[in-house]
Amino acid sequence: MNKTVDNWEPKIVAFLCNWCSYAGADLAGVSRLQYPPNLRVIRVPCSGRINPLYIVKALQQGVDGVLVSGCHPGDCHYISGNLVARRKFALLKNFLAYLGIEPERVQFSWVSASEGSRFAALIEKVVDEVKELGPAKKLVKKGL
Amino acid sequence: MNNIEIKLKDLVKDLFAGEKIDVLIGYENGSLPLRSRPCFVHSAGEVDRLVWNSYCTNNLAVYLPRIFQRQEHKKEETPPPRVGIIAKGCDARSVVGLLKENQVIKENIIVIGMPCSGMIDPAKVEAALDGAGPYSCQGEVDGSLEVTTSSGEKKRLKREEVTAEACLECSHPLAEGADLQIEGEPKEACDERYEKIREFEAKSTEERWQSFVKEISKCIRCYACRQACPNCYCKICFVDQTKPRWIGASDELSNVMIYHIGRIFHQAGRCVECDACVHACPMDIDLRLFTQKLVKDVKELFDYVPGLSVEELPPLWTFKQDDSQSFITEP
Amino acid sequence: MHKKAMVIGGGIAGIQAALDLGEMGVETYLVEKGPSVGGRMAQLDKTFPTNDCAMCILSPKLVEVGSHPYVTIVSNAEVLSLEGSPCNFRVKVLKKPRYVDEDKCTGCGICMSKCPIKIPDPYNKGLSQTKCIRIPFPQAVPAIPIMDKETCRYHLTGKCRVCEKFCEVKAIDFEQKEQVLELEVGSVILACGSQEFNASLKNEYGYKLFPNVVTSIEFERILSASGPTSGHVVRPSDGKEPKRIAILQCVGSRETQAGNEHCSAICCMQAAKDAIITQEHLPEVQTAIFYMDVRAYGKGFDRFVDMAKEQHKTRFICGRIASVESNPHTDTLLIQYITQEGIINREEFDLLVLSVGLEPSESSMDAARRLVVFMDTRGFLETNTFRPVNTTRPGVFSCGSISGPKDIPESVMEASGAASAAAALLGELQSKEIRFEYPQELDIRGIPPRVGVFICRCGINIASTVDVPQVVEYVSRLPGVKHAQELLFACAQDSQKIIKAAIEEKGLNRIVVSACTPRTHEPMFQKTLKESGVNPYLFEFANIREQCSWVHQKEPEKATEKAKDLTRNSIVKVVFAEPLYKETLDVKKEALIIGGGLAGMTAALDLAEQNFQVHLVEKEKELGGNLRHVHTTLKGEESAPILKALDEEVNKNPRIKLYMNARIREISGYIGNFKTVLDPPLSEIEHGVVIIASGGEEYQPKEYLYGEDDRVVTQRELEDMLNGSDKSKLSSLATVVMIQCVGSRDDERTYCSRVCCSNAIKNAIKLKELNPRPAVYVLFRDIRTYGLKESFYRSAREKGIIFIRYDKEEKPDVHKNSNGLAVDVRDKILNKTLAINPDLLVLSAGIIPNPENKLLSQFLKVPLDPDGFFLEAHVKLRPVDFATDGVFVCGLAHYPKDIGETIAQARAAAGRAATVLSKDTIEAEGKVSYIREERCNGCGACVEVCVYNAIELDTEKRIATINEALCKGCGACAATCLASAIDLKGFRNEQILEALEAI
Ligand code: SF4
Ligand code: SF4
Ligand code: FES
Repeated sequence: MNKTVDNWEPKIVAFLCNWCSYAGADLAGVSRLQYPPNLRVIRVPCSGRINPLYIVKALQQGVDGVLVSGCHPGDCHYISGNLVARRKFALLKNFLAYLGIEPERVQFSWVSASEGSRFAALIEKVVDEVKELGPAKKLVKKGL
Repeated sequence: MNNIEIKLKDLVKDLFAGEKIDVLIGYENGSLPLRSRPCFVHSAGEVDRLVWNSYCTNNLAVYLPRIFQRQEHKKEETPPPRVGIIAKGCDARSVVGLLKENQVIKENIIVIGMPCSGMIDPAKVEAALDGAGPYSCQGEVDGSLEVTTSSGEKKRLKREEVTAEACLECSHPLAEGADLQIEGEPKEACDERYEKIREFEAKSTEERWQSFVKEISKCIRCYACRQACPNCYCKICFVDQTKPRWIGASDELSNVMIYHIGRIFHQAGRCVECDACVHACPMDIDLRLFTQKLVKDVKELFDYVPGLSVEELPPLWTFKQDDSQSFITEP
Repeated sequence: MHKKAMVIGGGIAGIQAALDLGEMGVETYLVEKGPSVGGRMAQLDKTFPTNDCAMCILSPKLVEVGSHPYVTIVSNAEVLSLEGSPCNFRVKVLKKPRYVDEDKCTGCGICMSKCPIKIPDPYNKGLSQTKCIRIPFPQAVPAIPIMDKETCRYHLTGKCRVCEKFCEVKAIDFEQKEQVLELEVGSVILACGSQEFNASLKNEYGYKLFPNVVTSIEFERILSASGPTSGHVVRPSDGKEPKRIAILQCVGSRETQAGNEHCSAICCMQAAKDAIITQEHLPEVQTAIFYMDVRAYGKGFDRFVDMAKEQHKTRFICGRIASVESNPHTDTLLIQYITQEGIINREEFDLLVLSVGLEPSESSMDAARRLVVFMDTRGFLETNTFRPVNTTRPGVFSCGSISGPKDIPESVMEASGAASAAAALLGELQSKEIRFEYPQELDIRGIPPRVGVFICRCGINIASTVDVPQVVEYVSRLPGVKHAQELLFACAQDSQKIIKAAIEEKGLNRIVVSACTPRTHEPMFQKTLKESGVNPYLFEFANIREQCSWVHQKEPEKATEKAKDLTRNSIVKVVFAEPLYKETLDVKKEALIIGGGLAGMTAALDLAEQNFQVHLVEKEKELGGNLRHVHTTLKGEESAPILKALDEEVNKNPRIKLYMNARIREISGYIGNFKTVLDPPLSEIEHGVVIIASGGEEYQPKEYLYGEDDRVVTQRELEDMLNGSDKSKLSSLATVVMIQCVGSRDDERTYCSRVCCSNAIKNAIKLKELNPRPAVYVLFRDIRTYGLKESFYRSAREKGIIFIRYDKEEKPDVHKNSNGLAVDVRDKILNKTLAINPDLLVLSAGIIPNPENKLLSQFLKVPLDPDGFFLEAHVKLRPVDFATDGVFVCGLAHYPKDIGETIAQARAAAGRAATVLSKDTIEAEGKVSYIREERCNGCGACVEVCVYNAIELDTEKRIATINEALCKGCGACAATCLASAIDLKGFRNEQILEALEAI
C-alpha cells in the first residue's frame, strides 16, 4: 500500500481466535456495523496459539499495527489458552514499548462472540490511534 | 592461596576420593590478568589447578545441558556423568532453572556453593586505568585492587568501582539450596535494583528507540551472548531454523533486532541476571539494559524470581486467574 | 427399525440430548416449535457463577447440532400425537409454514434487509425492532428466515412481495402450507422447558405501568452486547444510565396469590450475576437485591454471592417490596419496603428489575397432554425421585425445566441422563450406518500447488460492495492460481458441482473460497473437496462478507482492496498447507466405575444395559454408600426397597463385574485405552472410559457439644432413629432444635451442602407426624428448598415448625445448664435473644468431599475445585466431563446433591461414557500438534500448558510426545515452546509467517 502521507491508510493485522473474537467480528458483520477497512484478519484457533514472535514478525513486515484478540478470561474454548497467552502478551507489550515501539502499534483486547459492537468499536479505536502515529518505520525490514 | 580455595580443594578431593563425581566444573587461572577461566577436572590429581578468586566471572552452568544431553549418535549409551559444579549465587540459580527445564539430572549433580563477594569486571579496570595499556595485578588489599601499569605505575582501585555491574546488583550472592557450601563471608544482597531500568523507562519513546538502535547497531551477530547463556541450550536455536525462517540471514538491522528481541524474550522468567551475555559480547552492547527489563516485569507482574525453587513452575508455563490485564485495550 | 429417537424442544437440554444420542449412533429428530434452536439460553448475556458469555459457549453447540449427521432438526414444528409402544412409536409432527423454502434458502438475509415491515423483536423481548421476515438471531440454527404472516404486508393487503423480488434463489414461498410428518422412533425425550412468569399479574410492582420496571430476562437483553442497547445499560424511559438499581426476587415464585408456590431455583444467582455484570458496565452503580432467602446452593454459588457483595457493592436486603410508585416527571421509582426486622423504608431507584420465576409453559403442557404423560398439579411433568428422567409413559423421558425449574448445568445433566436412558431402551437395535463414500484421494506429493479460487457474490450481499470480477481478475494472476471464478452463491448445490468440475478439468489440488464465514460453512466445502478426491485440509476460506462487504458498505473500493488482500492471504496459506489425516484409535468397550454407591450403581446398570462391560470398584464390603443412611426421600418414597433392588440387579448382571473391598493402585492410559491396577485382585484391567463416583461423607461436627452430650445428634442419626426402633424415645420429646449449616458455609468450608435444608425439613415433618406435640425449631441462615422442594418448606411451616434465622456472625450458642441443654439464639424479627431448652439438638452436618479424591485426581490427571470436589470441564455445558477425554464424574464426588440429582447425573455420566464406548474407534482432530524431535529439548513446557494432558515427556529420550487422540488443537504448546519444536498442523508457523509476509 502506498506510504506517501496524503493518501496513506494504515494496514493492521489482527490475530483473532476462532471461537470468540472471530465470531464477534462475524456478528459485527451480520449486524452491519461499519468500521474502517484497514484490518487483515489471520484466524487462529485460540489466542494461546499466538507465538509472540508472530507479532514482532508482523511489525518487521511493515504492518502499521497489530491487534490480538481472544476470548475474555474464562470464555476460552480451550479453557485456559488465553490465560497462558495473557502472560506472554503482557510481557511483550511492555517490552516492545520499552524498546521504543509506540505502544498503540501493538494492542490486545478480549472480544466475545456476542460483542459485535465491541469489535467494531475496537477496530475504530485501533485504526484511529495508528493513523495518529503515521506509517510504521521502526523494526521494519529495509526495502519494503 | 586463600582460605576458601584450600577448603574448596579439600572438598573436591574428597568428592573424587569418595567416587561421588566423575567431573568437576570449576575455574583455573587464565592467561590474561583479572581473568580466571572455566576448567574441567577429572580426578583428584588435577584438583590443584582449581582457583577461587575475584575473577571467576563465567556462569559455569552453561556447560551442564551439553554434558547431560543424550548421546543419540552413540550406539552404546554411556550412563550420564556425575558432575560437581562450583557455583556462585547466579550459577546456582541457573542450575535450578535447568533442573526445572529437565536439562540437568538431579541425581547426577552436586552443586558446591561459594561465598561470592562479587567479581571484578576487567572492563571497569581498564576504563579506570584510562587506556594506560597492559597491566599486571597484585591482588586485593584492604578493599582495593592493586595494579601495576606497563609504565610501572602502581595504582589502587576501589573494589566498589571495579566490581561487575551484575554483582553490585546481585540479589542472591549465596548459592542457596546448594548441595555443599564452602563457608565464608558472601557479599551483602542488594535489593535496590532496576534503577537504570526505571530511568530508561522514564525517557521518551523516541529516546528509547534511539538507544535501542544505537546498541543493536553494534551487533555483529557473532552469537557470543547466546553461547554464554546457560539458558540457551536449544538443539537448534530459532535463529538457525529454516522452514520457517524466523529471521532473515542478512545483517540488516531489523533482522538483528529481531534476533535480540527473540533471544531476550526467550529469557523471560528464566534470566538470572548473571551478565554472562554482557561479558561475552565483544562489541560491549549493553544487553543488561534489556534483559533486566524482563526480569523486572516478571517480578512485578507475576511475582516470580527465577532460579529459587525447582518446584515452582516457570511463569510462562502457567497462569493465575487474576493476572494483571491492565494492558488490555478497552474500546 | 434401527436406533431412532425424537427429542422435543430445542433449548439447551434438547440440544444436548440430541447431540448425545447422535454420538451414540441414534438417529435423532430434534423438534423445535420456534424457528431456531437455542431456547432461552440464547437470550442470556452471561452465565453464573463463572460469568461466561452465554452465546460464546452455546453457539458451537448450535453449529454442531445443526450439522450432526445423526441429527435432523425439524423447526417451527410441534408434535401432534404419539402412538405405539417403546421401540416402536409413531409420532405425528405438524410442520408450520415459514413461507421460506428451507432447501433453497442460503440464509443470505437479503429479504430481511429489504422487508418494509418492522415488528417488535421477540429475541430482544420486544425492546427493539426487527423485520416481519427475519432470521431470529444472528447465530440461529437453521439460519433461515421466517415470515410473520400476521404482519406481512402481502398477506394483509395482497401487495408487496418485496422479499420475493430480492431473493435470488427464489426461496420465498407465500403459498407454503402446513405439513404433517409421520415419523417412526424408538424412544422420545421431552425437553420443552418452561416459561417466565408474566409479571403483569403482579401489578403492585408496576410492570408495564411504569417504563423503568423491567423483568430479569428483559434486563438480560439490556446487558447483552448483542441486545437492543448493544450492552449499554440504560433505563428504558430516557436512555440514561441508571445509578441505583433494585432487583426484586421471587416475583411469581414462592407465593400463591398470583404466582406459583414453587421456588424458581435460578433467580437468586441470576440476580447476583446481573448485579456483578451491571457494576462492571457502570462502576458507580448501586444495586440492591431484595430477597427472602439467598439460595446459593450450587457449586461455587456462595463464593459468587460473596463476590457480588464484597467486590461489586451489591446490597442484599432481606425484605419484601410493599409498593412501587413512579415519579411522573422523572420516571424514577419510589420503593417502599419492609425489612426482616419489620422496619418500613422508602428509597428511590432508577430502575427496578423483577426476577420473574419459571413456570410450566403452555406449549410443554400441550406436549405432555398430546404424549399422554402425567403432570403434577402445577403442570410440571411428574417424576419419581428414583427415576428423575422417566415420565409416566414408558419409552418417554424428560429433561430440563419441563419437570421443574432448574439451571443450565442441571438441565444439561438431565439431558445426557435422558439420552442415556433413551439409548439404553434401544440397546438391542442396530445403529444406522452413516457412511459416505469418497473417491480415492489424490496424492499431491511432488506436485506443485494448483490453486482454484472461487469468489462468492452471495447474491448482492458481497457483490453490491465488493467488485467481485475485479477480485477474480486480480487473484487469477497470483502465483500458483490455476483457476479463478465467481459464483452467485458458493454454497448452493450447483456451485458444488461447478467446483468439482473445475477440480477435475484443471487438475486443481488446493481450493480457496472467498465468501462468508468458515465457522458455519467450512465443513460443507471440505465435503465437496473430499468428493473430488482432494484432501479436505487443502482448503482455505476467506471471509469477505461478514468481515468485509457488510462492514464497509460505504467504501466499496477499499472493501474491494481488502477482499483481494484477504483472498491472497488465503491463497498463500493454502499453498503451504499439507494434507492432514485424522488419527483413529481403537476403543476398549469397557468402563471402570469408581464407587459403588447410588451414583456408581446407576451408571453401571445404564452402561450394562447398553451392552458394555462394566468394572465396578467399591472400597467397602457393601454396595450402597450413603444411600444406606437415607431412609426416605423428601417426597416420602422409601429407599430401602430401591437399594435392595439395585443391589440385586448389579449383582446378577452378567456385564457388571464387582470388585469389593478394593482400591485403585494405578491408572494409566487415555480415552479408549486405560489400564488400571486394582487391589485386590492386583491384576490389570483394560477399559475405555472411567466414571468417578467416589461419593462424599457427612461432616463430623466439632461444635455444639456434639460427641459430648448424647442429646446432640446429626440429621443422619435422627433419620436412623426416626426409622428405627428408638421411635418411642422420640415420642416423649417436648422440644427439638435443629441447627443448619453445621460445617457448611463457614470460613473453612465456604460452600453450601445443598441437601441439609430439605433433610431437616423432611425429618422435622416426620417428627411432627410421629407426635405433633413437641415444639420444633429450625435455626437457619437461609432456607434453601430450591425448586419444587419449596412446597415442603411451606407445609413444615403449616405444621407449626418454627424457623428462626441466625447470622454467620451470631451463631447460636449451645451449652449445658441446670435445665439440661440450652440453646441461645438471636431472633432478628423479635430483636431479642431466645433461650430454648431442647431435649434433642439436631445438627445439619454438611457433606464433605471424599478424602481420597486427591489421590484419584492425581491418578487421572483431572482437577479438584478449592473445596476438594472434582472440577468438571465446564460448569455450565460439560457438567460431567473433564478436559481430559474419557473421564467422567457423578454424584457427591462432583458436589453435594440429592438422590434425584445424583441419579440424573449418574445416568448423564453413563450417557457421556456411552458416546465414547459406542464407537469402535475414536477420531482425533485433524489439526493437531506434532513434535519435531530434532528440535525438542525435552524441557516440559508444553506438558504443563496442555490442559488436555495430550503431551507426555518420554523420560528415556527426553523428548515430548503427543497423543493425537487427546489433542484438541489449541496450539498453546506450540506458542510456548521456545525451540519451535511443536507446531500445529493447519496453523503451522510456516503458514502463518508466509501469510504475514503476504500482507
Ligand atoms: S540472558 Fe544474559 S544475564 Fe540472563 S541468564 Fe542469560 S547470560 Fe545471564
Ligand atoms: S495443541 Fe493444545 S491440546 Fe494439542 S497438545 Fe498442544 S496444548 Fe495440548
Ligand atoms: S479460544 Fe478464544 S482465546 Fe482460546
